[in-house]
Amino acid sequence: MRLRHLASATAVFAAVAIAPVPQAQAAGTLTIAQAQDPNNWDPIATFLLSWGAVGSNIFDGLVSRDEQLNLKPGLATSWEVLDQGMRLRFKLREGVTFHNGEPFNAEAVKFTMERLLGPEGAKGPQQSNYTSIGSVEIIDPYSVDIVLKRPDPVMITKLAGYGAMIVPPKYVTEKGSQGFGAAPIGTGPFKVTGYENKVHLTLEPSGNYWGGTPKLDKVIFKFIVEPATQVAELQSGRVDIASQVPIGMIGAITATPSLQLLSTTGPTVTVARFNTANGATKDERVRKAIVMAVDREAIVKQILQGHAKPVTSFQSTLSFGFDPAQKPVPFDPAGAKKLIAEAKLPPGTTVSIDFASNNVIFREVAQAVAGYLTAVGLKPQARPFEMNLFTNDIIPNGKTGEMFAMGWGGWTFDYDNTAYLMYHSGERWNPYDKDPALDKMLEDQRTIADRGAREKALQKIANYVADHALELPLFNLDTYYGVSKRVKGLVVPPDNRFRLIGVSVD
Amino acid sequence: MNRLRSLEFILGAGLSGGMALAVLLSDWLFAGGADAMDLAMRLTLPFQSFAHPLGTDPLGRDVLARVILGGQVSLTVGVLSVAGAAVVGTFAGLIAGYYRGPWDLVLMRWADVQLALPFILVAITFAAILGTDMWKLIAFMAISQWVQYARVVRSATIVLREREFVLSAHAVGVRDHAIIRRHILPNAIAPVLVLMTLNVANNILLESSLTFLGLGIDPLIPSWGGMLSDGRTYLQTAWWVSFFPGLAIMLTVLGLNLLGDWLRDAVDPTTRSQR
Repeated sequence: MRLRHLASATAVFAAVAIAPVPQAQAAGTLTIAQAQDPNNWDPIATFLLSWGAVGSNIFDGLVSRDEQLNLKPGLATSWEVLDQGMRLRFKLREGVTFHNGEPFNAEAVKFTMERLLGPEGAKGPQQSNYTSIGSVEIIDPYSVDIVLKRPDPVMITKLAGYGAMIVPPKYVTEKGSQGFGAAPIGTGPFKVTGYENKVHLTLEPSGNYWGGTPKLDKVIFKFIVEPATQVAELQSGRVDIASQVPIGMIGAITATPSLQLLSTTGPTVTVARFNTANGATKDERVRKAIVMAVDREAIVKQILQGHAKPVTSFQSTLSFGFDPAQKPVPFDPAGAKKLIAEAKLPPGTTVSIDFASNNVIFREVAQAVAGYLTAVGLKPQARPFEMNLFTNDIIPNGKTGEMFAMGWGGWTFDYDNTAYLMYHSGERWNPYDKDPALDKMLEDQRTIADRGAREKALQKIANYVADHALELPLFNLDTYYGVSKRVKGLVVPPDNRFRLIGVSVD
Repeated sequence: MNRLRSLEFILGAGLSGGMALAVLLSDWLFAGGADAMDLAMRLTLPFQSFAHPLGTDPLGRDVLARVILGGQVSLTVGVLSVAGAAVVGTFAGLIAGYYRGPWDLVLMRWADVQLALPFILVAITFAAILGTDMWKLIAFMAISQWVQYARVVRSATIVLREREFVLSAHAVGVRDHAIIRRHILPNAIAPVLVLMTLNVANNILLESSLTFLGLGIDPLIPSWGGMLSDGRTYLQTAWWVSFFPGLAIMLTVLGLNLLGDWLRDAVDPTTRSQR
């Protein structure tokens, strides 16, 4: 009994790093550590960034995006927009086969889209992005039309998204969704050659990829939940890329000569949203005061060590709808105090900041935000929730406290994908706001076909949200990886979707 | 033997007493509280400045102040949860042991069922359903640990109720509750005290692990487990953030364990006779 106590008390110290011993790895093999196994590799069943990192190398869409997020031809070599934006015509690439030898053609496109929009797609989270598609018409074996129900200016971009990854009709029909989710097959540069749930997934070049030959012989994705373990594995040379590096461990990576930190603007924007229906934050003055009380610049510079950018709305600078003219609310504790005094809160009113307990970065940010709130006379409280409970119950069912953390990665990099889901009444992620004026703005912008006019409409929404202080904008965290210097040719993707075809290892 | 045992006492009482004293005086020692944040001073090294003798954490808060003030939560949880469990457990043990029959049957089978449930799993479930704060944590620990005390007290009571002094008290018409209070409880309480000392240490660790897992108390209130959790990702770059709360846990637990061992020997008649 006594020994056990001592052992567990001292175990705390045992985690201190042991000097790294580089280990040789097989030539041509790249090993990537990532935290999460999506469990189901069916592209229509997921919205996880962890899927994108792997799946983007197995599947192709009709269009694709490069690391700079420019649209490029994918399985379609060209496309044109007809009927005032209501019909998209694609010319398909010829001679492409799936990893199992099935041919890629217009049939496969039709099958993919109908599956996505049908009952099978309804079970997953991807369908809702594609509901503007009315039907798919085959013109000839290598031409296909996507007919829209309503104008959707983001549709071409969305066709590079997860849900529109082209799947092999015969194989999927034979295997069913479950079988396909466990052994995925696409047209991508790599095929899956080994998979052990929650342990690893192995990719090897598919052989005859239309876009060139990969330089790697093998890619192993290891699923390692604990970020500190990922970094330790990276330091010991057992993995080449650690995808989840806590801010606190960045110093440990830059101090190791064989490692480097690669980063780029990330897709995820973090805000603390307000409960606008209950509690102290029901009062707009209190919400505004909180926005004024928090020094975002200091949080980004000091806590996040500059690996993020402060934001003024729930989108990054890369997002369509970003307004460069929108000024951040200046850090003004005195002004915040005045507003709080005006609001005449009952003494001892608490402001709760809720977040998922596994979010180590927000845990630190929440404590800093709490420090700022205390400084202006509010009484903050921090509540970590178990992650699944938080995202499936606490937020959607409106059980949060006054503030709750939310990170949203608009993979389309279009503000509509965030704003509509966050602010339109009745949406899953919007348990509190019910504003008819805002609803109308959100609906109207979806019908605007003109790019410039729609951008203006989206910017107006962002400013409206800031004026009503619906959230405390925080930061756009960089995507950064700890990478061994033996990895060559890796361009860090802002959307977390590795493009491994040009990557090699020494 | 004797000298060793008194060394055990001095070390045990010194460590746990010193820690308790520091924690009791903490509100006076650190009148400014432990929340003063100074981002410009973040991650100051320990033993460098007089203002922050043990350095600062990633938010620039003083580690020493947080360790000492953090002890308030850890020790409160440890002591109160054990006191709660001991009171409930002793009462249940006396009833079961003295009256036997259906009381005994119901209480002890209940105890068996409870012992069969893995604690951490149940704790995680409860934290997910009820949310977490310090009082819920204390209540939960007390409810899950009364069994140990009940068993110890029950077996002592079963022996005691057949002893001559109890039988004769019964024969002259002393009421049950008086017999239990005057004759049985004082003779059964020694092992409970030992168990309590050891369990305080156990529960401090438990609070730390649950808070470390994010299931314990509010991260804004400094506590040893919470500080360990905060410092986890800084182990390689700023060891002091988690080292000092870890050290505080270790010294306190060590002190309480030594004290518990000494107490066990001191109240145990078989070891006493060897002296």
